[in-house]
Amino acid sequence: MGLEEKLPSGVLLTSVEKVAGYARKGSLWPATFGLACCAIEMMATGGPRYDIARFGMEVFRASPRQADLMIVAGRVSQKMAPVLRQIYDQMPNPKWVLAMGVCASSGGMFNNYAIVQGVDHVVPVDIYLPGCPPRPEMLIDAILKLHDEIQDMKLGVNRRRQIAELEELALASPSTLEMKGLMR
Amino acid sequence: MPEMPQVVRGFGVTFNTIFKKVVTEQYPEDSTKYPPKPRFHGRHQLNRWADGLEKCIGCELCAWACPADAIFVEGAENSETERFSPGERYGRVYQINYVRCIFCGLCIEACPTRALTMTNEFELADNNRADLIYEKKDLLAPMLPGMLAPPHPMVPGTTDTDYYAGKITGAVPEQLIEQELLDEEVSEVTS
Amino acid sequence: MTITNEPGAQVAVPTDLVNVTIDGVEMQVPKGTLVIRAAELIGIEIPRFCDHPLLDPVAACRACLIEVDGMPKPQPACAQMVAEGMNVHTQHSSQVAAEAQAGVMEFLLVNHPLDCPVCDKGGECPLQNQAMSVGRPETRFTEEKRTFPKPINVSAQILLDRERCVSCARCTRFAEQIAGDPMIELLERGAQQQVGTADDEPFDSYFSGNTIQICPVGALTSADYRFRSRPFDLVSVPTTCEHCASGCSLRTDYRRGVVTRRLAWDDPEVNEEWNCDKGRFAFRYQSHGRINAPLVRENGELRVASWPEALATAAGIFEAARGNAGVLVGGRSTVEDAYAYSVMARAVLATDDIDFRVRAMSDEEAGFLAAVVAGSPVTTTYGSLENAPLVLLVDIEPEDESPIVFLRLRKAARGGTRVVTVASHLTTGSEKMNAELVACAPGDEVRALTELSADIRTALAVPGAVIMVGERAAAVPGAFTAVADLAKSTGAALVWVPRRAGERSALDAGALAGLLPGGRPLTDATAREEVARIWGISADRLPQPGRSGRALLENAARGDYAALLIGGVEVDDLRDADLLRAALESETSVVAISTHHNEVTAAADVVFPSGVVTEKSGTFLDWEGRPRPFGQVFHEALTTSDAGVISAIAEVMDATVEGSVTGIRGQIGALGPWRGARTTRTAVAAQPAAAGVRLATWRQLLDLGLMQSDEPHLAATARPTVARMSAATAAANGITEIATLTGPAGAISLPVEITEMVPDVVWVPMNSEGSRIYRDLGLGFGDVVQISAGGRP
Repeated sequence: MGLEEKLPSGVLLTSVEKVAGYARKGSLWPATFGLACCAIEMMATGGPRYDIARFGMEVFRASPRQADLMIVAGRVSQKMAPVLRQIYDQMPNPKWVLAMGVCASSGGMFNNYAIVQGVDHVVPVDIYLPGCPPRPEMLIDAILKLHDEIQDMKLGVNRRRQIAELEELALASPSTLEMKGLMR
Repeated sequence: MPEMPQVVRGFGVTFNTIFKKVVTEQYPEDSTKYPPKPRFHGRHQLNRWADGLEKCIGCELCAWACPADAIFVEGAENSETERFSPGERYGRVYQINYVRCIFCGLCIEACPTRALTMTNEFELADNNRADLIYEKKDLLAPMLPGMLAPPHPMVPGTTDTDYYAGKITGAVPEQLIEQELLDEEVSEVTS
Repeated sequence: MTITNEPGAQVAVPTDLVNVTIDGVEMQVPKGTLVIRAAELIGIEIPRFCDHPLLDPVAACRACLIEVDGMPKPQPACAQMVAEGMNVHTQHSSQVAAEAQAGVMEFLLVNHPLDCPVCDKGGECPLQNQAMSVGRPETRFTEEKRTFPKPINVSAQILLDRERCVSCARCTRFAEQIAGDPMIELLERGAQQQVGTADDEPFDSYFSGNTIQICPVGALTSADYRFRSRPFDLVSVPTTCEHCASGCSLRTDYRRGVVTRRLAWDDPEVNEEWNCDKGRFAFRYQSHGRINAPLVRENGELRVASWPEALATAAGIFEAARGNAGVLVGGRSTVEDAYAYSVMARAVLATDDIDFRVRAMSDEEAGFLAAVVAGSPVTTTYGSLENAPLVLLVDIEPEDESPIVFLRLRKAARGGTRVVTVASHLTTGSEKMNAELVACAPGDEVRALTELSADIRTALAVPGAVIMVGERAAAVPGAFTAVADLAKSTGAALVWVPRRAGERSALDAGALAGLLPGGRPLTDATAREEVARIWGISADRLPQPGRSGRALLENAARGDYAALLIGGVEVDDLRDADLLRAALESETSVVAISTHHNEVTAAADVVFPSGVVTEKSGTFLDWEGRPRPFGQVFHEALTTSDAGVISAIAEVMDATVEGSVTGIRGQIGALGPWRGARTTRTAVAAQPAAAGVRLATWRQLLDLGLMQSDEPHLAATARPTVARMSAATAAANGITEIATLTGPAGAISLPVEITEMVPDVVWVPMNSEGSRIYRDLGLGFGDVVQISAGGRP
C-alpha cells in the first residue's frame, strides 16, 4: 500500500495504525453497486434524510478506481458475479465489501440456480447486513460497525500476522459436508 | 413588478432553508428514537409462560412457514426430570439464520402457542455468517420477576391446557422444590 | 392395490362382471368388488380410515358412508360389495351420504385432541386431510374431551396415544391377519374403547412398525422417530432394504444430511406394503463408527492418509501380488460392487481365489450355487409362493431369516398353500404359517429328505410346488445334493434363500471362484471370450479356477498369499474365524475396503472408507434374482462405493476396472444372460450323524447384528435368548431351568424353554445376547454340543 508496508517489524505501527484507521474510516467512498430493492434503501441512505455525508461518505463513485467500499445491495445473479468481481478487482487497496441485505449475504429467499448464494462466494465480505431490505438505520449501523473495524485495522507485519492467524482458523473449521443437522 | 434576478432567487431558497427544521434523522446519536415504529419487524424472540417455562413446543410450523428456509427446529420430549415447556414436546434446538431471514413475520403467524414474536431490535450487522445464526439461547426472552428458569415442573395441579388457556400467573415455590428433589434423584441415580 | 403381473404369466381376465352405477357413471366390475374400490376405478374418492386394500373389511370407522338405492340407511362403502344393477350415490351426488360423512367426521373429532402441532403424524395424517375436506370448519363441541394418560408403550418401540385413536382396527387387523401376532386388541367399549395388550405381554412382533405406517391418525408412533422431525421438512428417496435378501422397497426420509426414518414402500410384487422392524428401524449404524478417510499403516500404526497416498500404497501391494492374491467380498455388497471385486480379482490381480460367503460354507454349496442358482432367470417369485400348492422349507426359518418371505408364505397358507418345514421343531413362525413339520435333527436333513412321505412327494410333483433351501444347509454335507435331487425327481421349483442382501448379488456378479458374471463357468471358452471382451483383456489372461471357501481361508491362514483384498467382512461371522484371524496376523498384506472399523481394518495395511447404502446407488438381487435398484440418498457424501475405490486402485496400476454404477450396469447388460452350458454340481454323500446332542441354531431377526447397533428401542423388542430342547432331552440331562452348553471355545448358560422337538437336539440363537455361538462355543449348526444342568445365564 505505501510506506507502512515497507517498515520493519512493529516500528511506529501502533500509533500509525490509529491515525491511518481514523483517516480511512472518515473518508470511505462507496462504489455504487445497487442490484435490486436494497439499492433503493441505499439511495435513501445517501439522501438528506439519512445523509451519510455525516460520516464522510456522500460521494458515491461510479468509477471503482476512486472507491473504497463496495456496498453490494441486492441479489447477485450468476451472470452478474464476474462483473462484480471485476469491479472489486478494479478498486484500489485498501478496500472493503458490505453485503447489504440477505440476498447479497447468503442468497436469502432466492435459494435457486440463478442466484449466487452469498456474495462471499465471489469477493471477501467484511460485514453482513441482514434485512430484506434493511432500513437506512440498519445500513448506517452496519457502516458504523465497519468503521470500528477499519479503525482497528492493523498494518504491515501485524496485518500479515493477523491474516495468517485467520487462515489457520479457517483451515481448522469443519467442511460444510461434515456439518449435519444444525445450521452450522 | 420587475423580475428578481435569478441569482437572488436562488439564494432566497438557501436563505429560507436556514429557518426550516432539519429533516436529517440523527441516527445513531439520538438512538431512543429508533426504530421508528413499534410494529417494526426486528429480531425474533422466544417467549416464556409466566412461570418461566418456554412457550415453544418444537412443532416446526415456523420452519415450515418460512419462505427463506431460515429456521431450523428440532423437537424433543420433555422428561419427568427435565421439563422445558408444558406438554409433551419442546424445542431442543432452535436456530434462526439471520443471513436468510427476510423478516416477513410468517413464522409469527404460524406459531400455535405465540411462542415466537418479533422485537424491534434491528442492529444485527456482523462480520461473519456463523454469528448471524442465532441459537435458542440468543433468542429466548429474558427472565422476568416471578419466573423460574427451566427445567422445572409445571405449576402443581395444572395441565398444559391450563397454560394454553392463560391460567398461569407466575411460578410458585413448589416448582423449585420439586425440581430440586428431581435433581437430587437424578444425581443419586448417576452416582 | 395393483394387480400382480408376472412377466410371461397369464393374467386371469375376470369373466364374472356385474353392472353397477356410481354417481351416474355406469360401469362393469368383477363380482365381489367392494364399492369403495369400484369408485376408485372411476376416480371418486370416498373418505376412509379403517379401509385398507390388504386387510379384510371391517367397517369400523363409518367414514365411508354412501347411499345405495333401495337400502334404507347409508351403507359403508368399504364393506359393501357391488351387486347387479346397484345404484350408488357418493357424497358427490347424495346429500344423505355427504351429511352422513360429515356427521361421522364430527363424531370422530369429538374426542380427538387438538395436538396436531406436536403429533408425529401431523402433516401426513389422513384424519387431518379428511377433516379439512369433509369436516366442519368450527367445532360445536364445547364439553370436556375424554382424556387418557399419554403416551403408553405397547412395546419398547411402539407408543400408543389412546386419545388420538379413532378405533379403525387397522393395527389389530394387521397384527392378526398379516403378521399373525395378535398381541394387540381393541378393549373396552364406547368412548373408553382403546387398543391394548395383555398385561406383561408387549407387542413384540417383528412387523410391529407397519402398524405405525397404516395408522390413519397419530395414535401409534415409534419411540425411535418420536419428535425427530415433521413430515414437511423431510426429503424422501425410494430405496431398497439392505438387511436381508427379501428385497423390500423402502422410502428413506432424511433431513439435513441425517436419515430420520424409513418406511415400507408399496411394491405389490415383492413386499406389498409391509416390511420388518429391522428394515424399518435399524439404520443408525449408517452414521455411527464410520471410517471417514483412507488409513495407511506406518510403523505398525494406522494413520490417516490422503487418497492418492493410500491408492498408491494399495497399488504397490497389489503389483507385487499379481497371481497370488485372495479376495473376500463379504455378503453385503451390491451387484455393482461385487462385480468390481470380481473384475479386480480376475483381470488385475490375475487370481480366481475369491469368495463372498462370510458364514458356514462348503464346497458342495459353491458347486450347487454355480450349477443351479448363479445367473438363473427370475422364475420362482413371491407370486409363485402365493399360488404354490406346497412349499417345502429346508433349513430355513423365514420369520427370522427372510421376513417378507414369511409374510407371503403366511398369506399363501391362509389361501390354502401347504407349508412343510424340515426342521428340528415347529417354531412360532412355522405355526403362524400353519406349517407341517418333517422332524429332523440338524445334520439329518439328507435322510429326512430321502424319507419324505409319499404324500409330500406327490404334492411336490404338482406344478407350482416350491422347495426353498436356506444358507444353513451349507453346514450339512449332502444337503444341497439331496435338495437338488429331490427337486429334479419331483419337478418342483428350487430356490435358494440366502440371509444377507448381497449374497445373490455377489453370486450373479461372479464373486465366487470358478464363476464369471451371470453364472458363466470360468472353464468355458466361450464364456471366457465373452467376459474378456467386455473387460478389455485377452481371454488367456483370465486365471484358471482357484480356491473358494475353506480352501481360500486355509491358504490365507498359512500366509501363502502375497495380498488379501477384503470387503465388508466381520471376522466373527465366519464359521472358520480362526483361519482369517491367522491370515490377518500373518505377513500377508491386507487391503480393506470397509464402511466401519472392525477387526479386519484394525489389522489391515491400507484401509479405504466405503459408502453405506445411503451414500451410493446400486442394485441388490433378492432371493428371486429380481434386481432391486436403489438411488443415492446423500449426493454430497464423503465416501464412494467399493467399486469406486477398486476402480481408483486399478487406475494407479494402469489397469481399467469400471467403477461407476451406470458403467457396470452397462457392462452387465452387454454381457447379457448366459445361455451356454453351466457347471455341473458334484454329488456329495451325506455323512453319518455323530452321536450326542446336536446344536440347532440360526440368527434371529433381531440380534446382535452390526447393522442393528445403536438401536436400543429395536433391541428391546427382540425375543429373549433361550435354549430350547424337548422334555425328554432335558430330563435325560437333568436340566430343569438353566442349561449350560459347552463347546471347544467355551460355555454359555441359558434359561431353558421346553419345546416339543426332536430328541437330543438343543436350539439356541446364533448371535443374540449371551449366545454368540461361533465365538462363545466354537460350534455351528449340526455340531455336537455338551449340555449340562445349572450355570449362570
